[in-house]
Amino acid sequence: MVALGIHELTADWTSAKWLLWISLYVILGVLVPWIMTRAWAHQHQSTMRPRLKQVFQHGELGLISLMLAISVIWDLQKSQYTSYTVALGSVFLAMTGIMAGAVWIESYCRRFTGIRFTSERAWRDSRNLALLVFSLAIVTEILLDRFAKVIAL
Amino acid sequence: MRLADPAAMLAYVSLTFGLLLVLFPVSFPMMVVRNWQNAYLTPIMILFTVSLNLGLYLTVTYQRSAKPGILASACLGSVPVFVLAGLNLLLQTTIAHTLSGDIPNGLARVNEEILAHTFFALIAAIFAPFLLIRLGQQFFRTDQ
Repeated sequence: MVALGIHELTADWTSAKWLLWISLYVILGVLVPWIMTRAWAHQHQSTMRPRLKQVFQHGELGLISLMLAISVIWDLQKSQYTSYTVALGSVFLAMTGIMAGAVWIESYCRRFTGIRFTSERAWRDSRNLALLVFSLAIVTEILLDRFAKVIAL
Repeated sequence: MRLADPAAMLAYVSLTFGLLLVLFPVSFPMMVVRNWQNAYLTPIMILFTVSLNLGLYLTVTYQRSAKPGILASACLGSVPVFVLAGLNLLLQTTIAHTLSGDIPNGLARVNEEILAHTFFALIAAIFAPFLLIRLGQQFFRTDQ
């Protein structure tokens, strides 16, 4: 690694493209729906002022995380990592994505069957698992970016 | 035990790894690779994951005023060791296979493989025991 153009791996603006990529998910997946609820309330002159927590109180963040996990798995599959690394990363991302999605499923089942449902718990669980999936996605994209540079050397 | 309990801590570990990669793009990976070559990496990771898992488990049981179970503690202590040792064996096989082939820039590729493996193995070793405990709880509840 030392002899093969060390400057190629150091931080520059193009290395930060994962930041833009993850921002797209945060903006389009989380902030836009929240802003749209506020816009709707404004349009219909409602006093409703939902907080982010209220918009995603049924564990919907888990679904967004699952979508993100799928996208990263796809990027991993396209990479030139060995099949072992691709499999390890994909399985782990899929597992955390499914666990995050399961929060919404459990919440839906509980509401549907009338079994005790706590929106506070659904929000906390989906938020924590979403944080995990987002952090995993960021690091995986950084690793993929590094690997692509090494391949190109 | 809910999976969301270790998820936040795991996210912080993952973000710290990412931050170290961004801030020290050369020295941090070199440190990881050097430790792997000297066979220190797996024992260090085992020590780190087992301590973190037990710390997390005790924190959660304390917060919920519950008694720590012997089975869960054994699972948290042993599963990371099996996961890390097993994944390390797989990595060694993969590296031997990569180096035996005529791949351009093979050494640099191997270093990146080790780095990715370290990240995924670290996260898997922390998450796997909690996942097993959670699945075990589910099974127990179904029985009742």
